[in-house]
Amino acid sequence: MANQTPAVVMDNGTGFSKLGFAGNDSPSFVFPTAIATKGPAGGAGGSGSGRPAVGNKPSFLTGGAGPTGHLSMKRGTEDLDFFIGDEALAAAGGPGYGLHYPIRHGQIENWDHMERFWSNSIFKYLRVEPEDHHFLLTEPPLNPPENRENTAEIFFESFNCAGLYIAVQAVLALAASWTSPKVQDRSLTGTVIDSGDGVTHVIPVAEGYVIGSSIKSIPIAGRDITYFVQSLLRDRGEPDSSLKTAQEIKEEYCYVCPDIVREFSRFDRDRSRFIKHVVSQPGGRQVTVDVGYERFLAPEIFFNPEIYSSDFLTPLPVVVDGVIQSSPIDVRRGLYKNIVLSGGSTLYKDFGRRLQRDIKALVDDRIRASEVRSGGAKSGGLEVQVITHKRQRHGPWFGGSLLGQTPEFKSYCHTKAEYQEYGPGIVRRFALLGGPGGS
Amino acid sequence: MSQSLRPYLQAVRTSLSAALCLSNFASQTAERHNVPEIEAQTSPEVLLAPLTIARNENERVLIEPSINSIRVSIKIKQADEIEHILVHKFTRFLTQRAESFFILRRKPIKGYDISFLITNFHTEEMLKHKLVDFIIQFMEEVDKEISEMKLFVSSVALARWFRWPPRLIIKQLNARARFVAESFLTPFD
Amino acid sequence: MLLLDYQNVLIQSVLTERFSGAPPVSIDQKVSDFDGVIFHISTPETKTKILVSIQIRCYKDLVRYGAEEVLNREYGSYVVPPEAGYDFSVMVDLENLPAEKEERDELVKKISLLKRNAMAAPFEQAYQEHYKLKEEASKFTSEEAPQGVREGGEVKAIHYREEEAIYVKASHDRVTVIFSTIFREETDRVFGKVFIQEFVDARRRAIQNAPQVLFRNDPPLELQGVPGVQNTGTGEVGYVTFVLFPRHLTPQRMPDVISHIQTFRDYFHYHIKASKAYIHSRMRRRTADFLQVLRRARPENEEKERKTASGRTFKVQGS
Repeated sequence: MANQTPAVVMDNGTGFSKLGFAGNDSPSFVFPTAIATKGPAGGAGGSGSGRPAVGNKPSFLTGGAGPTGHLSMKRGTEDLDFFIGDEALAAAGGPGYGLHYPIRHGQIENWDHMERFWSNSIFKYLRVEPEDHHFLLTEPPLNPPENRENTAEIFFESFNCAGLYIAVQAVLALAASWTSPKVQDRSLTGTVIDSGDGVTHVIPVAEGYVIGSSIKSIPIAGRDITYFVQSLLRDRGEPDSSLKTAQEIKEEYCYVCPDIVREFSRFDRDRSRFIKHVVSQPGGRQVTVDVGYERFLAPEIFFNPEIYSSDFLTPLPVVVDGVIQSSPIDVRRGLYKNIVLSGGSTLYKDFGRRLQRDIKALVDDRIRASEVRSGGAKSGGLEVQVITHKRQRHGPWFGGSLLGQTPEFKSYCHTKAEYQEYGPGIVRRFALLGGPGGS
Repeated sequence: MSQSLRPYLQAVRTSLSAALCLSNFASQTAERHNVPEIEAQTSPEVLLAPLTIARNENERVLIEPSINSIRVSIKIKQADEIEHILVHKFTRFLTQRAESFFILRRKPIKGYDISFLITNFHTEEMLKHKLVDFIIQFMEEVDKEISEMKLFVSSVALARWFRWPPRLIIKQLNARARFVAESFLTPFD
Repeated sequence: MLLLDYQNVLIQSVLTERFSGAPPVSIDQKVSDFDGVIFHISTPETKTKILVSIQIRCYKDLVRYGAEEVLNREYGSYVVPPEAGYDFSVMVDLENLPAEKEERDELVKKISLLKRNAMAAPFEQAYQEHYKLKEEASKFTSEEAPQGVREGGEVKAIHYREEEAIYVKASHDRVTVIFSTIFREETDRVFGKVFIQEFVDARRRAIQNAPQVLFRNDPPLELQGVPGVQNTGTGEVGYVTFVLFPRHLTPQRMPDVISHIQTFRDYFHYHIKASKAYIHSRMRRRTADFLQVLRRARPENEEKERKTASGRTFKVQGS
C-alpha cells in the first residue's frame, strides 16, 4: 500500500511548519510551529517545563488549569487537549491555554510538544495513516545526530511510519533550484543563502554534504527589515506605524536598487515613485500611509548593515565571499557558480542580481590583485552566479517534494524493520538523495 | 510500600553495599589493559560468587561481583502482555540513553530486563552509598512507572478526585482506553 | 483533539479561500486522506473551474453497493466524467457559485465530505434493506418467519485497505458492521487489545444506548461463507463488530451514524499512537528524574577558601 501513496514532506522551521505531499508545487499547510496546551505558557504548573502533569505530584490538580477544569481533566486526558498552528495562537488568546514553540533556533527543544505537534499535523491536517506513508523531514545544518535519533524514535515507535528520510534544509534548497532554467547540471554543490524571519544563514554545500566549519550566520533577517521599515514610518510620523503595516509595506513594495544615491535622486525627480498605502484599521477606519525611500532602503540593510545596526557591519556579499573563501579550495569554483537563495527574505525584486554584482566585484578585485602580484599571468576568470527561482519562499519544502516524488526515494528511506534491526543509530547516515548515482 | 517489597529492597541494598568493594585491578591476560573482570571473565580467581535475590518468581536481582567491577541485573515484574511491552519499551528507552547514565549496561544479561555495570572507576568518582541509592530508587520507581503507564493516565490523580483509595482504582481503571472508547460511542447515544 | 473530523481539511480550506472571492489562481494539488484515498484538486481548463477528483481503492466495491447513486444525489449538477486515473470527479465553476454565503459554505462542506459520501453507499443500502426486512418481519412471529427474513441481507464487503475490510450486513432488527483489523506491530496489537476491551465494556458500564461492540479473533458467524474471509487460526486478524440497534437506525440519525462509524479505524489507530506519545513523554520525564538521582552520586566539590590580593577571603564553589 505504501507504494502508491505520496510521501509526506514536513519542514518544521522555527517560525513556520510547512506540510504537504511530495509531488505538489506548494505545501498544503503552512502554519506557525506553535502548540497551545493547558496551563500557563512555559513550565506548566508544578510539573516542570512542559512535562505532562503526573498523578503523584500533589500539585497536579491545583496546578495548570486549576480544580475547575472540565470533564476531560478528571479523566486524565489533558495530553489530548491541545491545539497547533493558527488554532494554537487563537486558543492562547483565551484563558486556560499557554503557547509554546517547540523549535528554537531551528532545533527541536521540547520533544514532548513536538511529538504531539507531529501527531496532530499527521492526523488532523494531513489526514494520513503514517503506516501507509513515507516521510521526508528536514533538519537545520549542524543538527546533532542525537536529535535525528530522537526524531527517528518518535516516527518509528509512536507513529510506525513506513519509511523515514531526514534531509538537511540547505541541501533541499539546492535541489529546489533545479527548477530554475539557469541551472543546467543538477549538482548538489553550491552556496545556500537562507534568510527567514529570525536569522540568515550562508551555508556552503559540496556534493550534498554541508561544509559545517564554513557556515556563517548573519543576525539580519525578515524581522529586522520589518523593524527598520517601522522605525522609518515612525520617524516620519505616519498615521499608522504598527508592525503589521510595516510588514505589509515590506512585502508589497520593497525592492533592491543597484545604487542608493542614484535611487534617492530618482525618487526626488519622479514623485510617482512615492506610493500611498491604505491600511484598514480595526473598527473599519481607513488610513493612508505614505511609502517613500523605505521601498529600497529596507532590503538595503543586507548590503549596508550600518544603516540599521551598529554592532553587525559586514555586508552580505562580503560574508558570502568569506564563506566560500574559507571552504576547501577544490569546491570554491562550484560554490561561486551556484549561489542559491531560499526563504522569504530573499524574495525582493533584484535581490539576486545585486548580490551577484557585488560578489562578482569582490572576486574580480581579488583576481586582478593577484594578477598584478604574479607579474603578468592571466587568470581565466571565475564565474559567479546567483540563482533566483520561483520556489524560493518554501525552498527546502519544495526541494523535499521534488526528491520525495522520485521513484527511488523510497529505497533511500530507512524502514521500521531496519530501525529495529540496527537501532536509532541508523538514521545518522542516509544515502544521498539525488546525488551521484541518484537521479 | 507493600509488605514484601521493603525487605526485598533492604536485602538488595545490603548486598549491594557489601559487594561494592572494588579496587583497581589491571588485566592479567593482556598487558597494560584494565578491563571490568566481570565482563571479561578471563581470570576465574578474581570473580566472586554471584548472588540472586528474588522477591518472587517474576522479580529478582542478580549481583555478580568481581575484584574491579560488579554487574547488577534486574528483572522487572511483568504480569501481563501490556506490562511486558511497557517494560520492554521503557528499558529500551533507557538503554538508548546509556551514554548519560554512566553505569547502565547497553544490553541486559540474558533473562533480565536491565543491567548495570559498576567499575572501580565509577566508585572512585561517585559516592558509593548514593550509587546504591540510585539502584534502589530505580527499582522502586520502575514498578510504579510501569503500572502508572499501564493505566496510561494518572490513576492517583483520579483517586484524589474521587477520594478513593488508589489501589481500588488501579484494579478498576484503564482510564485512557475507557475514555477513548466512551467518547467514540457517545455520539451514537 | 479527541474525535477525528469527517471532512478533508485541505479541500475545505482551499475551497473556502477560493469561494471567498479571492482572485482566481491555478491550483494543482494532490493530497492524501486516510485509507489510501487520494484527492486531486486542479484547475485544468481555466482558473475559475476547480476540479476535485477522488481515487479510492475499493471504488469497485462501493459502486456495487450503489455509490454512484449516492454521489449523484449529493453532488447532482457538479458531477463531471471522472478524470483519468481517478474514480469520481466534481467540478465547481467559481463564476457560477450560489449567491448566498450559507449555500456556498454548504457546498464547501459537501465537497470536503467527498470521501465520506463515497464510503457511505453500502451503509445507506444496508439501512434501506433493514427497513424492508423490518416491514416484512412484522408480518410474522419470530418462529415462522421465512428463511430469507430471519437471515437478513447479504454481507457487503468493502475492502478499503489492503489487508483490512469493512463488512456490513442488514437484518430485520439490526445492522451489523464488522471491521477486520490487523496490526503490523506487536506493541500496537497489545495496545489495541486494551482499547478494544474498553469498547466492548463501555456499553455495559456507561453508555447503555451505544451500539453493542464485540471482538473476536476468528471470523464471526455473520461472515461465514463470505469470500476472502479465512480463519487463519493465528489470531493476527481481529474482528470488531458493531451492532447498530433500531434506535441508531432511524432515518434522522443515519447521516451522523454513518459518518461516525467510518472513522472508527482511524480513530482507533490515532489514539493508540497518541497514547504511545503520552507514554514517551512520561518516559522522558522519568529518565530525567533517574539521571538527576544518579547525578547526586557525584560528590560535590568542596568549598575552598581563597584570598584576594587585599587579603580578604572568599569561598569558591566548584572549580
